[in-house]
Amino acid sequence: MRDIKGLIGKICFMREWKRDQVCPLVARLILGAVFMYASIDKILHPAAFAKAVYNYQLLPGALINLTAIVLPWLELVLGIFLIIGLFREGSVCMVTFLLALFLGAAIFNLARGLDIYCGCFSTSTEGTNNAPKVWYAIRDGFFLLPAFYLLYHTFWRKRQAVRVYDQ
Amino acid sequence: MLRAGKLRNGKLVFSALRQVAVIMVLSLTLGILVNQARPTRLPLVADWSPEARLTGNSGESLVISLEEARALWSDKNALFLDARSPEDYARGHIRCAQNIPWQFFDEYIDHVWSKISKDNWIVTYCDGEHCSLGEDLAKALLSMGYKKVKTLPNGWTRWREAGLPAEQGD
Repeated sequence: MRDIKGLIGKICFMREWKRDQVCPLVARLILGAVFMYASIDKILHPAAFAKAVYNYQLLPGALINLTAIVLPWLELVLGIFLIIGLFREGSVCMVTFLLALFLGAAIFNLARGLDIYCGCFSTSTEGTNNAPKVWYAIRDGFFLLPAFYLLYHTFWRKRQAVRVYDQ
Repeated sequence: MLRAGKLRNGKLVFSALRQVAVIMVLSLTLGILVNQARPTRLPLVADWSPEARLTGNSGESLVISLEEARALWSDKNALFLDARSPEDYARGHIRCAQNIPWQFFDEYIDHVWSKISKDNWIVTYCDGEHCSLGEDLAKALLSMGYKKVKTLPNGWTRWREAGLPAEQGD
């Protein structure tokens, strides 16, 4: 009897350990690595990134350079914080917000027929190769999955834990 | 107990907001400090208007009017370079224009070297009012030492709408 209890206890412990420790850690490492990797090239080539920001045709001219200067560092800081687990709640919120913003911008420009490579609106959508643009949108949407999971785990699971603790 | 739970939830959200503020300030400071330390620093606020973008380093405008471009084309005095993708170029382009897709600039530019001297006129173009590939190509050629380089904004659409000679294919 004691053996079965011990076994069940072990199984429960492993499940909870996986759910509360391993899965969030994997999600944080994946997103952290993606954000750090994405920031490096932009930090090294700020002028080219400013052009890319301009090509999105979403921001007023006065904000383009400031965005190009600060956004890559924001991505790097968030990537590092996600990996080392510092400021977890704030990092998870910002990463989810940024990914949703990138996805929204990609879908918006796809819908209005803007080629973000050159910043030009294609005059006719007939025969235009949309595959890379659709791929960007799908990729951004894919990264939102671990971000939403982390958001759920960081806030919802913690709230549940708080309730159990209070009871 | 419920009150204690709400208090803790509120603390969690407040803590997240405080962390977001710290992360923003940290990123802003790092970005601006590193940018200011760079030899090729970006101005924090720049003029991204078409007029500013289409002005060369010497202060001279890179823009050529449709009439001037047409005259150069008619007299066979300029090489026209189409900066769009090979697919767009194949669908239709200014007659006798060469395709130098901006994204494959390094691969295609060798074709240009052999064809023109640095004193020849070159007119670059793209399609669409906001398309910057023509001006990117023009600026790259200027930096390579070509002196007589102009760009025709929204070139393909304007050329086609004016009924000027065009052709399809590679």
